[in-house]
Order: sequence, then structure tokens, then C-alpha cells
Amino acid sequence: MKQFVYADNAATTQLDTDAFEAMKPFFLGEYGNASQPYSFARTAKKALKESRETIARCIGATPEEIFFTSGGTESNNWAVKGSAFSDSNKRVTITSSIEHHAILRPCADIERMGYPVSYLPVDINGVVTAKTLSEYIRENTRLVSVMMANNEIGSIQDISALASVAHSYGATFHTDAVQAVGHIEIDVNALSVDMLSASAHKFNGPKGVGFLYVRKDTALAPYASGGVQEGGMRAGTENIASIVGMAVALEKNINKMDKITAHIEMLESMLLQRLSESNIPFSRNGSEKHIPGNISLSFPGYDGEALLHRLDLMGICVSTGSACDSKETKVSHVLRAIGLNSDLAKGTIRLSLGKSNTEQDIDAIVDALKRIMK
Amino acid sequence: MRVDCVICGKGCLDKNSIGINKKLLGEDIDNFYCMDCLAEYLGCTVQELLDKIEEFKEEGCKLFE
Repeated sequence: MKQFVYADNAATTQLDTDAFEAMKPFFLGEYGNASQPYSFARTAKKALKESRETIARCIGATPEEIFFTSGGTESNNWAVKGSAFSDSNKRVTITSSIEHHAILRPCADIERMGYPVSYLPVDINGVVTAKTLSEYIRENTRLVSVMMANNEIGSIQDISALASVAHSYGATFHTDAVQAVGHIEIDVNALSVDMLSASAHKFNGPKGVGFLYVRKDTALAPYASGGVQEGGMRAGTENIASIVGMAVALEKNINKMDKITAHIEMLESMLLQRLSESNIPFSRNGSEKHIPGNISLSFPGYDGEALLHRLDLMGICVSTGSACDSKETKVSHVLRAIGLNSDLAKGTIRLSLGKSNTEQDIDAIVDALKRIMK
Repeated sequence: MRVDCVICGKGCLDKNSIGINKKLLGEDIDNFYCMDCLAEYLGCTVQELLDKIEEFKEEGCKLFE
């Protein structure tokens, strides 16, 4: 039987089995609408409340500050557009040039509507400095949005320093933490963020659900009207099963974070050491401070897309560019932003290891690359 | 332009065969394999290569028809 090595956890993760078991009752038996007043809705209502409390606890927030969404893309769209539309006087949004398209496209949308957007440059490691933000921010800046960890190269930003600059100008600070939640320690108060986006399927929860953390008293226009759910801010009957699954998955990852991180970092070191020993020329992209297991590698003279498909034929899943851009052969905006030359950019793949990966997986990946590049 | 398999000599490789060679071995290659020889070289099955071709077609890749 052909091997199967999944090394694309930044694209999505396998649903946790405890999360799946926790979800099951809400598909068939406990299908009540949590907004209804009768006793049959009680279990759903209680599950919604407890899930909100769990998630709040995991990131140092209060339950009232957690708003459930359909995922990271919705949370990001809401943060950008809801912030822009909440204040007609302060109209400028600042973001970084390496954001996920779930931030860049809503920014382009509000630009077309007359809300200016500035895009901060990054250094060679994909880092936005507080100094750079200080050079761009003005009194008319409404929102600063910088992702906590980049999906393609794994670089982690100094969020508290950036938030501090934003606040000194009276601006709201949002972070797309989709790649970070469940993988590194997050305390919204220590970070001083006003809004934070998360997506369950990135931390072993189900697809199609996420949340937006919104600090109390942050001005934000509602995302969807039509019901009183989520305090009137995001109408729509709640997906109780998925919300429950998300909470279970997040809490489990948080509780085991030290152990999982140590395991992934061990695999990461093993991979890089074995690659170095194999005499395969490669370079690694991204900063030293990165999401554990997110490994962007450039192989000069090779085609990243060809590598992806050759590895796929050997049963190994990786990415080239971001997962959402995997159908295109264009060089990603992230690699362009960090100044990677076209030969290296074209020959870049991303491996993203997860808690289920093993030493045997690492051997398989390195052996496959050696076979391709012999 | 006539393209033959560099291993077995099978003549007149079709557009899809040439396309999958370019996708998997690089756009600038000078030597091409027929589907059978390519599958053997890559350690996969011809069906897996055909599945890849269908995926590329669905993505709108111009190398395939």
C-alpha cells in the first residue's frame, strides 16, 4: 500500500476524535435551535454557552467578547469591513503586504468604496516592525490589521509592539491569528489586541466554523442582520455541532501545547538536519520566531509546483505558495514581499508538520526529495 | 513538431503526454517520456498520471487538451 504523509497542516488539520465525538449528539439527537425558548433547546443553548466560555478561557478573553463565525475568512472580512463602516471620520486602514487574501481582498473591497488602505512592507524574514508602522500611521487611521503568523513562511509578528503603536494613535488593532490559535500561547490582554480571528479547522476542529474576538467597547458594525444571535452582531442560527467541536479541539490543543510543540520542533530539526546531510541545496524562508512545523523551503533550479505533484505521486502532501493559491503557478505575494529572487521563489514548497506526524514521515519526505533531485 | 519517448522510442507523443512531462519534470526539459515509461520512472501508475492530467485540465491548464 502506498504511503500517505500529510505535511500540509497549515492548509487544514485532521479533526480531533474527541471533538468529533462531542459533535455527534448535535447532529441527530440534540438538534434544537439554541435561540428557541422551550426545553428541547436547553441542551443546545447550554452547549453554546459552555463552548463560548471554553474558547474565551483559552485566549484570556471574556465570553461576551467571543463571536462565532463561519471561519477565518468571515472573521477577517468582518473585522476589516465592520471596522471601516463603523466610523466615517477616521477612514484609513493599515495592513501588511504579506496578509492572507482573506484580509487583502476585503481591504481591496473597502478601497474601491473610498476607504484608503496602506500596505506595510516587511523585511527579508517577513517581519513588520513597530518602526515601520510608526512611519505609516496617522491620526486618521481607523484600523491596523497585521497577521500574527504568516501561513506561507510561518513568521510570527511582535503583535503587542504593533498594537501599542496603533493604540497610541487611537486606532483599533486586529490580528488574523488563524495560523497561531491552538499552536502558540495567546492571551489577548498580554497582546493588547482589540480583535482576533481564528478558524477551527486549523487546530483540529471542524471546517466551516471560527470566531472573532472583539474587545469590549470596540466599535464594529454588525456582520449580518436578520436575527438576534451573537448579541445581534452576527445573525444566523448557530452551528452548534461545529461550535462544540471547535471548543473541544481548541482546549485539547491548549492543554497539550508544550508536548505537541516539543514533538513538532523535534521533527522540524530532524528534517532540516537530514536535508543538510543529503547535500540537497536549499534555503529556508521566514523568521527564527515561527509557527512550529511551518517550514518554507526553496530549492534553486527546481519548480515548486512540479515538486508538489511529484511528492503527491509518492503519497506526500505539501503546498507551494499558499493553500488557497495552489492552483496557480504565479509566485506568491508573500515570497515577492520578502524579496526572494524568482528562481528561489519558483522552487519553493511549504511543509507544515502537525502533531500526528512521525519520524517515519520525515524519513519519507527526505527520501522522496532525494529521489526527485538525484 | 514530432516528440518521441526518450526511453522506448514510442513516436508522436500527444499533447497531454507532453504536458504531463512538463508539469512533473519541468517546463524546460528536452527529453520526454511516454506515459508507460513516465509512470515507471516516477514510481506511480499510468492511471495516477491520467488522474493528474484530468485535474490539470479542470484547473484550466493550457498544456492540456
